[in-house]
Amino acid sequence: MNNDYEHKKVVKNTTQEVPSPAANFLLISAGSIFTSMLIAGFIVGYMLDHIFDTTPIFFLSCAVLGFIGGIQKVHALTKRLDHIPSKNEQETKND
Amino acid sequence: MGTVEYIQHHLTNNTLALNAEAQEAIDKGQMTFWALNLDTIAISFLIGALIVFVAARLGKQLETGKPGGFQNFVESILDFVSTNVRDAFPGHNALIAPLALTIFLWVWLMNFMDLIPVDLLPMLFQVITGNEHAHLKVVPTTDLNTTLAMSFTVFALILFYNVKIKGVWGFTKMFLFHPFGKFLIPVNIVMTLIEEVSKPLSLALRLFGNMFAGELVFLLIALIGGTLAVGAAALFWAPLQVLLDLGWLIFHLLVITLQAFIFMVLTIVYLGMAHEDDAEMGH
Repeated sequence: MNNDYEHKKVVKNTTQEVPSPAANFLLISAGSIFTSMLIAGFIVGYMLDHIFDTTPIFFLSCAVLGFIGGIQKVHALTKRLDHIPSKNEQETKND
Repeated sequence: MGTVEYIQHHLTNNTLALNAEAQEAIDKGQMTFWALNLDTIAISFLIGALIVFVAARLGKQLETGKPGGFQNFVESILDFVSTNVRDAFPGHNALIAPLALTIFLWVWLMNFMDLIPVDLLPMLFQVITGNEHAHLKVVPTTDLNTTLAMSFTVFALILFYNVKIKGVWGFTKMFLFHPFGKFLIPVNIVMTLIEEVSKPLSLALRLFGNMFAGELVFLLIALIGGTLAVGAAALFWAPLQVLLDLGWLIFHLLVITLQAFIFMVLTIVYLGMAHEDDAEMGH
């Protein structure tokens, strides 16, 4: 079971090696994505608290989740930089 | 009028209250739901109408042999947008390119209102209405309502295509098993919810923040001449204002183009992600 999972993960990584160029524009907005995740965490938490009347449990825990998610996203975005071959690399590959 | 009042006056919308409660809130300087920002609505509508008018006029005069300068210019914009759509959008959808073009042109023109001298249109408006305290905020994108309205529209399209392409179960699966797998379903639901809510938020806040800050800098530069240029001091302060204004204007021309471009590209990318089965793009 565990091996199966590892295998899937590897396959996923190899398919990510060549990202579509336009998705790299997301890199421009890595900062605002992080901030928005945090704000969205507060909003979702506030709404959940409002529904379940549990203030401030969801408010704080969703903010933490938003923070973690924000870091995860920025990490995933910046990781893409490693996958983008530079022009020189592409030329040497073609040779 | 002091400097603070000057800035506040320029950053206040011309608002129409829809009920007495809203009027009370507006009088206190608060924001309220049942109110319309008339200047934002009118200016963004006029800019939209201008795009439609120019496009319809040009559409009737298209030439295939030797196109004129303006047709060439418009064709280059079309080409630029369609190249971006081809690069960023994985599938085929006839809606995406026109949507991207509309967003790019509309946002760019709304941002462009920032480059018109800050006092010109408000002063004209005050002369026309005969009310020297009349408010007019000329840049629609410095109003959070505009940017949020646009980003919520894009968000509605994202949700629609997510459900249409992935199916209801596919969309639900995205909430249940992403990003931590099947053992942390409650966390996954909240996390994906936060992720989805952050998309329209980041779209709207980025555009609003950049344009609002830009407008504020223009106002501060305008204050140099307005408050300090008294008598002979004007010989020093007025040229400085012109120089700073010119510098910020050139820089801001890049900012407004970049912001319109980012809004367009991110719309395409988000819609592209909605069109992919099991999207795993790191965002």
